[in-house]
Amino acid sequence: MSTGRALAAAAQQSAAEQQDFDIPQDARDRARELGWEDGLIEFALSKGHTLQEVWQALRGGVDGATAKQFLAGGQLVRPEFSWMKVPTEWGIRARASDPELGLTIGDLNIGTYGDIPDHWDNRSEIARGSYPNPTNEDMGYTIFDKAIVWADCCVPLYEIAIRDRWVASTDLRWASLETLPEDVEKAVCQLMTEQSDRAYYAGAVWSGWLPEISYGYHEVKFFLSTVIYDLARHTEAFRKRALANGGGLGLQAPTDFSRAIREARTFPELAALFFLQDSLLLTLFKNGDSFAQNQLERDMYALVARDRQRMMDYHVERFKHFLYKLPSRREEQDLYFGKGEAQMFKDWKDPVVSEPLALLLGGGKEHMEAGHEKLRALRKLQVQDYVDNLARATFQRKNLNSRFKEILEA
Amino acid sequence: MAANPITKPGLDLSWLNLYDDAASATPGKKGLTLKEINTGRYSDAARGAGDMTYRMRGAVPRPGAQRFGPNYMSKSDVWSENCVMLYEEATQRQWSSARDIPWNELETLPDEIERAMCQLCTMLTEVEFIAGDTPGQWLPFVSAQDFEAGLFLMSQIMDEARHTDVFRKRALANGGGLLAQGAGLGLRSLIEARDFTEMSVLMHVQAEGFVQSMFRMGELIGQTDADKRIFRMSAQDESRHLAFGVMHLKYVLDTDPERREEIHHYLDKAEGDSAGGGSGDVTFPPVFESLCILLGGGVDKFDEGVQKFLLLRKRQINEYVHRLTVAGLGDRRDRLGPLMAQFVDPA
Repeated sequence: MSTGRALAAAAQQSAAEQQDFDIPQDARDRARELGWEDGLIEFALSKGHTLQEVWQALRGGVDGATAKQFLAGGQLVRPEFSWMKVPTEWGIRARASDPELGLTIGDLNIGTYGDIPDHWDNRSEIARGSYPNPTNEDMGYTIFDKAIVWADCCVPLYEIAIRDRWVASTDLRWASLETLPEDVEKAVCQLMTEQSDRAYYAGAVWSGWLPEISYGYHEVKFFLSTVIYDLARHTEAFRKRALANGGGLGLQAPTDFSRAIREARTFPELAALFFLQDSLLLTLFKNGDSFAQNQLERDMYALVARDRQRMMDYHVERFKHFLYKLPSRREEQDLYFGKGEAQMFKDWKDPVVSEPLALLLGGGKEHMEAGHEKLRALRKLQVQDYVDNLARATFQRKNLNSRFKEILEA
Repeated sequence: MAANPITKPGLDLSWLNLYDDAASATPGKKGLTLKEINTGRYSDAARGAGDMTYRMRGAVPRPGAQRFGPNYMSKSDVWSENCVMLYEEATQRQWSSARDIPWNELETLPDEIERAMCQLCTMLTEVEFIAGDTPGQWLPFVSAQDFEAGLFLMSQIMDEARHTDVFRKRALANGGGLLAQGAGLGLRSLIEARDFTEMSVLMHVQAEGFVQSMFRMGELIGQTDADKRIFRMSAQDESRHLAFGVMHLKYVLDTDPERREEIHHYLDKAEGDSAGGGSGDVTFPPVFESLCILLGGGVDKFDEGVQKFLLLRKRQINEYVHRLTVAGLGDRRDRLGPLMAQFVDPA
């Protein structure tokens, strides 16, 4: 019955310590399935075998006759090691193609392991390329189509995100902060409050979508994990800046756009909304020098922009691939972008969102007019970059939000 | 159409008068960590009621803020007293599976050993895959009032992605490949959890605890320096996840002692009602057999491997009981499922 002489010896050794245990019903059911006579489990236990051994034998599919033979002192049964003989591709020696990056997940995509199917039909957590069990429980994934989530760039971007990670507590020179005029400090803090809110929320939402994506596209899940981790760092960095220089947290972020994200029913809708927000924020942080008040902020915005550039690269390529593969869904996307633009404009028109930026761009509350002028230019750039990013994904917005149009044409 | 407030703005500036208590956190020896900013009205101790709007703790509530759907309103539902420290530790101790493992030092192994290692890695890449999805499933329910717990879970998602990838890399880097799917590992119970604490006890304390005990035997399991390093680096991450779970359980038992029986109930289901060895069960035959080959040093030393496997199992169960005891659930020792109870050392 056992998997080896030593197992039996070990069992006998511990027999003295054996207590009376209930035999789990699962074990009895499994024994019955395998043709074990009633009482054979108890007999095995009485001979000094542990319940662990019995269970191991049952899980290994040892049939009743074999078990009985073993317990009667017959020949030992050795495992068959059937898993050694499964017909997966063998002899793989992945090597780093770029020594600077090391052995990347892209380097693993060789032979059949590099086959990333258009449709993945295994509903379990099976690793792509391994040999499937004949029967598995459905793990509840809902995304099985490459066209929905895939972008080739997520493969290198995952490793690049890891290479380019930074640490908010030690990579920013917090001790260098100097006191700012109160209105300027409060403007920085209000902006940080909003951005910390948005980053945390975005991280939580992306996280909630991870369990929807099947293992067929594990590279996407890996990349999104870096996005989530980046957003955690942004949440933390912005909060730290708000609380490090004589200010505090201000009014919580507006909720209109974020609610739209929460209302997304499918991954493409979610991705469209994040495309919009991430594009606008990327442009904002790329222009961080124009509203940063010190070197720490310049460094922080530059690092955040570098992280967000990866997100944007994923968005553009995923959306382009999606439109190419599913052209019938092109018109539908206009609806999501339209909804997102309308809600984002609501957020933008809130003075608690626009005024801190204008104050920082202008250089103080006495220069609000000049600051608003600069903010108009920044908003224009944000909308233009967004439209350009959509164009890179081969998408022309049919009815760009009229307020966004006004900003572009101002 | 009304004037576009972006192109023709008025002035409000009311946000300049929301507070007048200056916060000036100063960096400590480890930089400006979450601990340094966890002060005054921004601290977790000053947490108010949850509000379902994702308002970060300490931010001024916005009139008219919309709710985003249910999330946990009570701190004890998700909190762990060490999450602030663990998140910062995670940021400092990130590693790269691409560059921090000496892949070019892998040595050709006997076929049976390579196959055993690849089988183990096939199982581990699945386990770690679920370990990333599971916290993801719960993050939308973690209130921004307890954002440090949320940030920690986000760092865990990153860790688990790296683990999923490093075991896949190992399987494909040394002349092997992936082998049999490790179904039947009790992983579904992790995503079946309907409560954060249930999830945390099953995943952080039980499943990751079992995996951690195994990784700590990596010096015996690993056949090359690269293999041993993989287990060491992964164990370092698992320690954080485990620590979060133990301290979360402790927090729940300290603050909501009426939940004790409920938590026992989850564990009864996971380890007692079924014959399975709990989530992360290593007794699945391909895993058991491959571990025995690796621990023994070959198919011909399988019996030695079985002895060591039983030691591993004993270690897993005793460490599990110890962790539960630290968390305040020491009475679990007397209620363990039969497959675990047989390995427990006398109290």
